[in-house]
Amino acid sequence: MTLNRPLKTILAAAFAASMASTAYAGGTLRYATVGEPPSLDQHVVTSDLATTIAHHMFEGLYTFDAANAPQPLLAESDRLENDGKTIVITLRKDVTFHDGTDMTSADVVASLKRWGEHGSRGSLLFSNVESVEATGDHEVTIRLSKPFGPWKNLMAFINGGPAIYPASVVADAGKAPISPENYIGTGPYKFGEWQANRHVELVRFDDYDSPSGAADGYAGERKANFDALRFIPVPDVGTRVSGLQAGDYDYAESIPGDLFADLDANPQVTTIVNGGPLFGLVFMNSKDGPLKENFALRRAIQTAIDKVPALQVAIGPDKLWRANGSFLPKGNVWYTEAGAENFSRGDADTARSLAKEAGYNGEPIKFMVSTNYPFHYDTAIVYTKQLAQAGFNIDLQVYDWATLIKKRAEPDQWDLFFTHHGFVPDPILISVMNDNYPGWWTTPEKAALKAKFTESADPAERQKLWGEIQALIYEQVPTMKTGDVYTYNIASTKLTGLGEATLIWPHFWNVDK
Amino acid sequence: MLGYATRRLLALIPTLLAASLLVFLFVHLIPGDPAAVLLGDTATPEEVEALTREMGLNAPLYLQYLYWLGNVLQGDLGTSIFFGAPVLSVIADGAETSILLAVMTMVWIVILGVPIGVVSATRHGTWVDQVASGGAMLFASVPTFWLGLYLILIFSVSLGWLPSSGYPSISDDGGLANLRYLLLPSFTLAAPNAALIIRLVRASMLDVQREDHVRTARAKGLAPWKVATKHVFRNALIAVAAAFGFTFAALVSEAVVTETVFSLPGIGRLVVQSILRRDYPVIQGVILIIVVLYMVINLLVDLAYAWLDPRVSLK
Repeated sequence: MTLNRPLKTILAAAFAASMASTAYAGGTLRYATVGEPPSLDQHVVTSDLATTIAHHMFEGLYTFDAANAPQPLLAESDRLENDGKTIVITLRKDVTFHDGTDMTSADVVASLKRWGEHGSRGSLLFSNVESVEATGDHEVTIRLSKPFGPWKNLMAFINGGPAIYPASVVADAGKAPISPENYIGTGPYKFGEWQANRHVELVRFDDYDSPSGAADGYAGERKANFDALRFIPVPDVGTRVSGLQAGDYDYAESIPGDLFADLDANPQVTTIVNGGPLFGLVFMNSKDGPLKENFALRRAIQTAIDKVPALQVAIGPDKLWRANGSFLPKGNVWYTEAGAENFSRGDADTARSLAKEAGYNGEPIKFMVSTNYPFHYDTAIVYTKQLAQAGFNIDLQVYDWATLIKKRAEPDQWDLFFTHHGFVPDPILISVMNDNYPGWWTTPEKAALKAKFTESADPAERQKLWGEIQALIYEQVPTMKTGDVYTYNIASTKLTGLGEATLIWPHFWNVDK
Repeated sequence: MLGYATRRLLALIPTLLAASLLVFLFVHLIPGDPAAVLLGDTATPEEVEALTREMGLNAPLYLQYLYWLGNVLQGDLGTSIFFGAPVLSVIADGAETSILLAVMTMVWIVILGVPIGVVSATRHGTWVDQVASGGAMLFASVPTFWLGLYLILIFSVSLGWLPSSGYPSISDDGGLANLRYLLLPSFTLAAPNAALIIRLVRASMLDVQREDHVRTARAKGLAPWKVATKHVFRNALIAVAAAFGFTFAALVSEAVVTETVFSLPGIGRLVVQSILRRDYPVIQGVILIIVVLYMVINLLVDLAYAWLDPRVSLK
């Protein structure tokens, strides 16, 4: 029997298609999230969940490798001129947006300008920026009023960072997040659909040009093996765990500590501890109330607290927390023990006498906390008890998160409030460094050290200066760190290529099923 | 009856206006700011204020209400702050899940509640009645989140028969087979409600059984099953019909816990999440629709009364 030519052609095409399809594992990765992100616009939104989804779709000029060092992503190379006051960035020429247009310097300039004006973290860099110009089709020049050491780290941090969008998308965009129909990026996955309450779905971008080099953290080669990534809101943790065990999800995030031992021992589940810990912070009011400028009273509060029992109660297994006074974890280049001897003294008697010397007469201290995050509330309960034992009159005010963030903007409403902070690769990104963040820490000592810290481009000098800033934090106590919390996620054992720990946010390029 | 229904529908208008004002005020009186929720923890008060201005949420409250009401009267419930999509489409997405969940729950309630209630009443005082009443008490007392999680563990994790959570629309791949996603949640939601219906059917039938017309029917020598179905059950249904009506309406709002446990994209979970996010247009839209639903079902129950009991006159 012989086949005629058209039939042979069809069969050959089908065979070729089937061979081509074997290049991908295909299928859909189903990720159970704790909720829905507020928006995926990385310029203005700093939600970790938003970044977990969005960094598959949007890319910046730089990203981080496994050692948290910035590496080029959409940039090809860069050079500093004029004593570090001029940054010239050469862009990759092979980059295509999801709408099929090529990325040029015009897109980068428009994105950087919008991020500088409206972005959550843009003002940190742009308060020093004099101009951003396209100096070639694939070259951008940034002129600074003075050198700014952490510029590359800021650009590499995609969360609230300078994702590159087409100029046409950002031309009219203001502070309000851009809408889903304008989610056009350069990443290995492109926006598919957002069904409210159901899922956010990204689909593979077939024209993606991966950066070269071996995969290293978020840097290097990016290969989209799945046809689609589906992020499904599953607010109940029991359902996230059961759903993964039943095979309805491949990955589930934010699992509580009390399930860790069982899940870690379960051969049908992979536990993945986050490499970058988050940490709780208790901010003190520098603008109003009894703690305003009364550093001695703040030190008395700091002295009263023993952080370990609170971490045991709020987090649980030892593997998931560290009573670490350094703002960045051990092993990180920014780790320092400067001032950390005051991290967790738990000395009620000394605290009582320090408070007396500071002029404290038992007036109520308003402590705001939210129940939306159980570890905030559990920790605050332990602290309140410890502070009461040292003679402090704590007025614990419990709110939902939306109310707390509204009230903390009003200086006369609070003295202490509890929040937490995600891992950041450069201390300049820690909220206490922002003068306008509620707490409003703006002392001359901070201003002087911060100026030196941001102006220096020398890594060794910056590390030394950060040690001095951390020591100042323990002396003036604008905020109290509560310890490192290592959150963990769980995954199906069928997933390969995940690595043992996530860097900051999990990523699913180079992952197979 | 038509005139009565028309008058009742017209009476909806002032009630809805009052409800809309109350809903608007309550929603805006909750402390919190959607701009702050949207921007996240690192946003400064200045940045939050800028976005609040950009979204028009700094205008006087009465102006915001009038603007919203004007749009509602034209059928536009506004745009979700969180999703950036029209509120009507956001609600419509959730409505499919909630309505199907409510219908399937009602099916469970009818299948379980009515027959068991009838048997319990007709076998009043026997061990059958004791078991049925005890079982009803047990299911009425079991928290739905507990029952839901155990059903997931048994039927999804251990046996692998049914999906653990989520619900793809019947218009997606899978079609009507996707209704299997609602089997466990609807049973979970039905359990306490079916228990109440069992007790209600039993109590109503026992009441009716003691009435003169039933004694007369028995005296005439009618078969016991005929007395039970034609004379007792139909009259007992009058009280049960009202309970069915309100149970159906309440299911939409009661389903919050079940929708959370089974991760269903329904209206109950939508409204709770919207409150946490301070997504004012969605909260207002959902509550307004629930108010309309309650009022329409109330009207339907009244009409059902007249149909079931000719002595009830609708004026």
